[in-house]
Amino acid sequence: MKLKIIIGGIVVIAGIVLGALNFLESNVEYTDFSTAERTNKKVQVKGEWIKDQPTSFDGEKVKFSFYMKDEANRVSKVVLDGAKPNNFELATSVVAKGKFANGEFHASEVLTKCPSKYEGTSESVQKSL
Amino acid sequence: MLVLGTVAANIVRVGFVAALAAAFLYYRCARSSSPHLLGWARNSYHLATVALMASAAVLLYLILDHQFQYKYVWEYSSTTLPVPLLMSTFYAGQEGSFMLWALYTSVIGIVLMRYSSRRDYETEAMSVYSLILSFLLLMLVVKNPFTFIWDSFPADLIKAGAIPAGITNVVVLDAAKGIWAQYPNEGRGLNPLLQNYWMVIHPQILFTGFSSMAVPYTLAVAALWKRDYNSWIRIATPWAVFGSMVLGTGIIMGGYWAYETLGWGGFWGWDPVENSSLIPWLLCVASIHTSLNQRKSGAFVRTNIVLSLLTFIMALYSTFLTRSGVLGDTSVHSFVAPGMWVYWLLLAFIAVFTGIGFGIFFVRMREMREIPVKHSYFSREFALFLGAFAISFVALFVAIGTSSPIITTILKGKASAVEIAYYINTNLPLGIVICLLSGLGQLLWWKHSNAGSFLKSIVTPIALSLVVTALVFFNLGSADFLILLFTFCAAFSLFSNMKVGYGVFMGNPKFVGGSIAHIGIAIMCLGFVTSSHYDSKATLSLERGKPVETMGYRLTYLGYKELDSERYAFNVQVEHGNAKRVVAPIMRFNKEENSTIRNPDVINFISRDFYVSPVTVEEENQSADVPLRLTKGEPQQIKALGIEFQGFGFDDDHQAAMAEGKEFFISASLQIADGKTKRRLELKMKNGPSGAEFIPASFVASGGETYEFTLTKMMPSQQEPSKSAVEINVKLPIDETVPKREETLVVEASIKPMINLVWAGTITLIVGFLLTILRRSEEARRNGDKWEGDTA
Repeated sequence: MKLKIIIGGIVVIAGIVLGALNFLESNVEYTDFSTAERTNKKVQVKGEWIKDQPTSFDGEKVKFSFYMKDEANRVSKVVLDGAKPNNFELATSVVAKGKFANGEFHASEVLTKCPSKYEGTSESVQKSL
Repeated sequence: MLVLGTVAANIVRVGFVAALAAAFLYYRCARSSSPHLLGWARNSYHLATVALMASAAVLLYLILDHQFQYKYVWEYSSTTLPVPLLMSTFYAGQEGSFMLWALYTSVIGIVLMRYSSRRDYETEAMSVYSLILSFLLLMLVVKNPFTFIWDSFPADLIKAGAIPAGITNVVVLDAAKGIWAQYPNEGRGLNPLLQNYWMVIHPQILFTGFSSMAVPYTLAVAALWKRDYNSWIRIATPWAVFGSMVLGTGIIMGGYWAYETLGWGGFWGWDPVENSSLIPWLLCVASIHTSLNQRKSGAFVRTNIVLSLLTFIMALYSTFLTRSGVLGDTSVHSFVAPGMWVYWLLLAFIAVFTGIGFGIFFVRMREMREIPVKHSYFSREFALFLGAFAISFVALFVAIGTSSPIITTILKGKASAVEIAYYINTNLPLGIVICLLSGLGQLLWWKHSNAGSFLKSIVTPIALSLVVTALVFFNLGSADFLILLFTFCAAFSLFSNMKVGYGVFMGNPKFVGGSIAHIGIAIMCLGFVTSSHYDSKATLSLERGKPVETMGYRLTYLGYKELDSERYAFNVQVEHGNAKRVVAPIMRFNKEENSTIRNPDVINFISRDFYVSPVTVEEENQSADVPLRLTKGEPQQIKALGIEFQGFGFDDDHQAAMAEGKEFFISASLQIADGKTKRRLELKMKNGPSGAEFIPASFVASGGETYEFTLTKMMPSQQEPSKSAVEINVKLPIDETVPKREETLVVEASIKPMINLVWAGTITLIVGFLLTILRRSEEARRNGDKWEGDTA
C-alpha cells in the first residue's frame, strides 16, 4: 500500500513538473522591440500597425512586411512568415511573435485584435440609417 | 410591433422567477414530500421552459422580420442573408448563444424530470437542475437580447421635434414632448467568417452537448443529498454517455469546419474556444470509465462524484474563459468584453455551483463507505483507473494551458498564451498511456486476467501494431521516438479492441459499444499522427497558365471567377498521375473595410487530402512601388537616379495660412541627379480643413521614362535640423525589357496523409457511443438498484 502511494506520488509529481516546465517554456514573454533586440530570444511584441508606412508582400518567399510601433513607441519593420493576416486592416492592435534579427523583427505569427468589428459603433449606426 | 421585444424581455424575467421558484419548491418537496407541492414545482419548471421557448420564438421572429429597432437583430443579421443563415444569427452574439444554452438546458430538463421521477430522484435532481436553469435565465435578464438600438446610441438616434417627411423608419417615444427615434433599415450582417452551412448545425449540436453536461452534476449532487452513493451511477451513466457523444460530435464538427472552410490548415488549433468544450468532454469521458469500476467493485465512489461535479464546473469555467473577456487579445478569436455584470455573474455561477457540489460532498464524505481497492495491477479495473486518471490529467493540462493568460497576468503582470507546442508536449505522453491502457484494459477484461490466456491474446495485436508502425515509418518518413510510440500504441488499441469487439459481438452484440468507441478513438489517433505530423506543405506563386510542380502534383492557375461583388473563386487545376481536378479556393475582399477572408478548397483522395489555401493574388505587372527613407544630405540611388533630400519648405505665406486655419502646403525638396544633370523636385503635402493629402509629382528622366514621387511621411528634427528625414514612395516606370508577368496567384498547398482516418474514427466513435447509450439506458430502465454481475 505504501509502495503504491509512493509510486503514485512520483508519477503525479513527474506529471506536474513536465507540465510546469512546458508551460514556462512555451509561454513566450511579452517585451518591446529594444529588449527583443538585446536578448535575441523568441518574444511577443504588442503594438500598433503604422498604416501610413508602406507594407509589402513578397510572393516568392511569402513574406509580408509592415511597420509596427511597440508600446515603448519604437518603430520597427516586422517581417511575417506568411501572407497578410485576416482582418489586418481592421486591427486596432497587433501582437507579433518572433525574434529580432538584422534590425528587423521576424515574426512567425501575427495576431490581430479587432474589437470594434462586430460590435456596433455610433458610426456604423449612422451608416445603416 | 414595438412592444413585442419588451414583452419577451419580461417573459424572460418571469421565466427566471419560475425557475427559481421551481428550485425552491422542489427543495421543499424533497423535505416534506407533499404531492400538492410537487405539482406546483413541476408547473413552475414547465412555466420557466415555456417562457424560454416563447421568448426564443420572439427573438427568432424579430430576426426573420428584420426588426432592426432591436440592437441584437441589427448587430448580427441583415436583409441579404439566406433564411438558414438568417436563423443562425439567433446565436451569433453572446445574448443569443446564452439563450440557446438556456433553451436546450430547459428542454433537457423536461426529459430529466420524467426520467428521474421514475427513479425516485425527481425532487432532489430537479431542485438542483432548476437552480442551474435559473442562473442561465438570470444571465439573460442581465444580458437582455431585446434592447432597443436607440438605448445604445441615444445621441445618434433619439431626436426631438417634427419628424421630417420621407423618413419612415421611426418610432415615436414620447408623443407629448415630440421625442422620436430613428432606427436602421439594414443590419450589419453576420461575420463573413461564419457565413457557412456549418454555422447552422454546429453551434446547435455543441450547445446540446454543453447543456447536457449539467445532468451528471445534478445527479451527483442529488445522490449525495439522498445518501445514495451507488445506484445513482446507473442512473447517471446514460446521460454522461449521451453528453459525451453529442459534445464530442460538436467538437469534431467544429474541427472539420475550421479545416474545411475557415482555412486554419488543420482540424485542431488548441484555441480557447475549442479547448473550452474539450475540457468538460474529457472529464465526462473519464467519469464514464471510473463508473465502470464502481459497478464492478463498489469502489471509486468519491472519484465518480468528484469527476461528475467537475465536468459541469469546468464547463462553467470554460464559459467564463471564453465569454468574460479575460483572454483578451491572446487568441485568433476576438473576445469581446461583455461588461462587468456578465463577468461577475459568471464568476458567481462558478462559485455557487462549486460551493453546492463540493460543500455537500465534504459534508457527506465521512459517511461514504471506504471500499478497499482489491484488484491487482494486472486487472481491467486498474487499467480503467489509470486510464481515467490520465484522461483527467489531459483535461488538467488543457485547462492550465487555456488559462495561461490569467496565470501569466498574476505571475508576470502581462497576459500571454502558451504556444501549441505546450499542448503537444504535455499530452503526447498521456496519449501514449491512454492508448496503451485502452488496449490492455479491454484484453484484460475479455480474458479475465488469466496470465496465460492474456499473454496469448496480446501477441497478435502487438505483431499487427508493429507492422502498422513500420508502414508509417517507411512510407511517411522518420519521426521522433514518441510519435512512433504513439503510433504503435494507437494501433495496439485498435487491434486489441477489434479482437475483443469481435469476441464480444459473437457473445452478446449489445455489449460491443465500448470496443467500437475505442476503435474509433484509436483510428482517430492514427489519423492525427499521419495527417498532422506527416503533412507536407509548400507555398507557390502560380502565374496564370504556367504549370508548377510540387510534391508530385502539377498545379496550374486558370483564372478567377467573380461569384458576387465581394467573393472570387480562383480556379487551380491539380494534376496527379492521370487524375485531373480543379479546385476553387475563395477569397472575399471587402472593399469598405479593406479586408480579405480566405476559404481553402480540398481534394479528398482516399489516402490523403490535397489542401489548397489562397494567400494573395497579384495583378499582372504593374509598375513597382519603391518605398524610400531619406535622411537630409544622404543621397540614395534608385535605378539611374540619385535622390537626395535637402530640406522642408514652409514659407511665411503658408505659415500665415495655417495660423488662420486656411489651406496651406508644406513641401520637401529633393535634388535628383539624372546622369550629369541635377534637378530639383518639390513634393507637397496639402493641409486643409478636410485633412492632409500628399500630392504626387512626376519626374521625366533623360531617357524619357516617367517616375512618380509621393511623400508619405515627414520627420523633421527640431534639435538637429540636419537629421530631418522624409519617407517617400517612388513609382518606377514600366520596364519594357522585363517580360510581362501574368496575374499570379499565391497559394499554400499541403498534403494531409490519411486524414480520412480522423473522420472515419469520429463516425465509429459515435456509433460506439450510441450502442453504449442503448445498452445503459436499457439497464437503467430495469430496476436500477438491482446489482447484477456486471460484464462491461
